[in-house]
Amino acid sequence: MKRAATVMALAMLVLPSVFAAPMGFKDSWMAMGDFSPNWREGLANYAVTARDAVGPSLLYMRSDDETTTRELAEVTYTRLLQRWNLPDAQANVWFIGGIGAVRGNDISGTRAMATPGVQVDYETTRIYVSALARFYRADGLNHDFASARAGFSFYEADYDEVQPWLIVEARRMRGLSADIEITPMLRLVQNRYFVELGVNNSQQLRANFMYIF
Amino acid sequence: MNKIHLILALLAASTTSFAAESVKATVNGMVCAFCAQGIEKRLSKMEATKAVFVDLKNKTVAVEAKPDKTLDPKAITAEINDAGYDVVKLEAVPLSVAEIKAQTKAAK
Repeated sequence: MKRAATVMALAMLVLPSVFAAPMGFKDSWMAMGDFSPNWREGLANYAVTARDAVGPSLLYMRSDDETTTRELAEVTYTRLLQRWNLPDAQANVWFIGGIGAVRGNDISGTRAMATPGVQVDYETTRIYVSALARFYRADGLNHDFASARAGFSFYEADYDEVQPWLIVEARRMRGLSADIEITPMLRLVQNRYFVELGVNNSQQLRANFMYIF
Repeated sequence: MNKIHLILALLAASTTSFAAESVKATVNGMVCAFCAQGIEKRLSKMEATKAVFVDLKNKTVAVEAKPDKTLDPKAITAEINDAGYDVVKLEAVPLSVAEIKAQTKAAK
């Protein structure tokens, strides 16, 4: 009874909250990958606080006609700018940016590149929507990127069950892709496992994963 | 005979004091398993934690204390906050995590 009273009293001290998507929880490592013929990205970050994560990232990009390539190695910083934790939903605003070096098959040497961007997302147990805008700028290079995602889960699932989602993403990168890439993907989430598999509108396979250590 | 009664009484009292007790938190923003794993991991690492149960549908997390330990509600709240979520209610429940889990499954 005394313990219950203590619990109830301390419940009044509930603190404000923090983080989620492009980074894990405080003191965790998150690994992410996004692979298709024209876009291969691997990155990891460490959540130094509940709102901040840093880590290395490698990105290979290729133009639609397969003639131009870019390779970017950078250190990224992810910051949760704002989160709304609602009874049945969560919404976030993120800053995602990096500084690194880029090289390409049509440019000489490497150039310093900065990649600041903003992501917004909203998720319930059945609906997911997000949008990302990110600059990829270097001397003489502009590969600004934008993507939007929307999807739904087929059913609600328990924590230890697999939850399947249908997610559709549209994305475009300036200077490399004249077309908007559209990819419907099957997303499977269970506990710490997160994978997406799809085929884009150029009939190319695409696979994504996320894992938190 | 009196000695036997005394021993039985002490045994009964001992059993009561070691009855499983858990803290149940109602959590805002907990909408996916992948995100909620942070809660489970962080709470499981607490010294007093015996077991953790995340109930996504009811947006609750139950933490059971080890027999000789006391759960600190403030620490539980802090860990859930560090996992990225908001605690809106905390309550002590005289059940083990296994019992809470069984009740939850039975209610579906």
